[in-house]
Amino acid sequence: MASPKQVDISQLQVPQLEMLRQQLDQEIELFSTSLQQLKIAQQKFVESEQSLVRMTPDTDGSEILVPLTSSMYVPGKLSDISNVLIDIGTGYYVEMDVNNGKEYFKRKTDYVTKNLEKVQPMLQEKYKLKQVTMEVLQTKIQAQLATKQAAAKT
Amino acid sequence: MAESLQKRLQSELDKYKSVQKDFQKYVMQRQQLDAQLTENNVVKEELNLLKPDATVYKMIGPVLVKQDLEEAKQTVSKRIEYITGEIKRVDTTTKELEKKQESHRDTLSKLQQQFQQAQVKAAMKS
Repeated sequence: MASPKQVDISQLQVPQLEMLRQQLDQEIELFSTSLQQLKIAQQKFVESEQSLVRMTPDTDGSEILVPLTSSMYVPGKLSDISNVLIDIGTGYYVEMDVNNGKEYFKRKTDYVTKNLEKVQPMLQEKYKLKQVTMEVLQTKIQAQLATKQAAAKT
Repeated sequence: MAESLQKRLQSELDKYKSVQKDFQKYVMQRQQLDAQLTENNVVKEELNLLKPDATVYKMIGPVLVKQDLEEAKQTVSKRIEYITGEIKRVDTTTKELEKKQESHRDTLSKLQQQFQQAQVKAAMKS
């Protein structure tokens, strides 16, 4: 997506600047939604890891309420606290022990955080570019208006 | 004269818009494929980290079915292969469409210029 050659945007015409602005708007929107989704994913992994931390040996056999729907629960008992089933994506689930599970979620949180750190500066860069483009666009439009007015007077 | 020009301009604009629509469709498809590829790569990595005796389930509809780790690895690899192929296909189509878009833009701006000139001429006559 990045333009391979350097272009001085002060050399561009108004329609080209307008196109550039639209493109930047789209890119900003894309990066913003990506950022939000990454944050949601990060939150989910952190929550799952925290749930695993609570699976200590003394919770073995303790009573729990299992949600059947969001408003109805049935009582149950924890029968196995050493193994969990984890969704690793595209419909695959893997049985892991608690420690492996914790490691898995740590790995995932790291992965997502790394990507977050990649997207954030990109978004900022786009914002800056957009600002510069808007400034150049404004001055160009004003210059055009001024010449038109000057032409109208004579 | 001006009328026929206007008609040509309109039909050219319609063509351009339809190409633009196609282009956007393919860009969306490309994004989806990209997301799928990333997800499958993540799954592959995760499967490679597992011990050979690990229990793997595959979600088929609402049920989880036990599956061999090797089989799962193969399925994911095959999927990655397929998706990479699809991405290549979509990429070539988008490139073609991009070229088409550009040529349409060129003819459009030419027609627009002609149209404007015709209008100026008409204004001069009257």
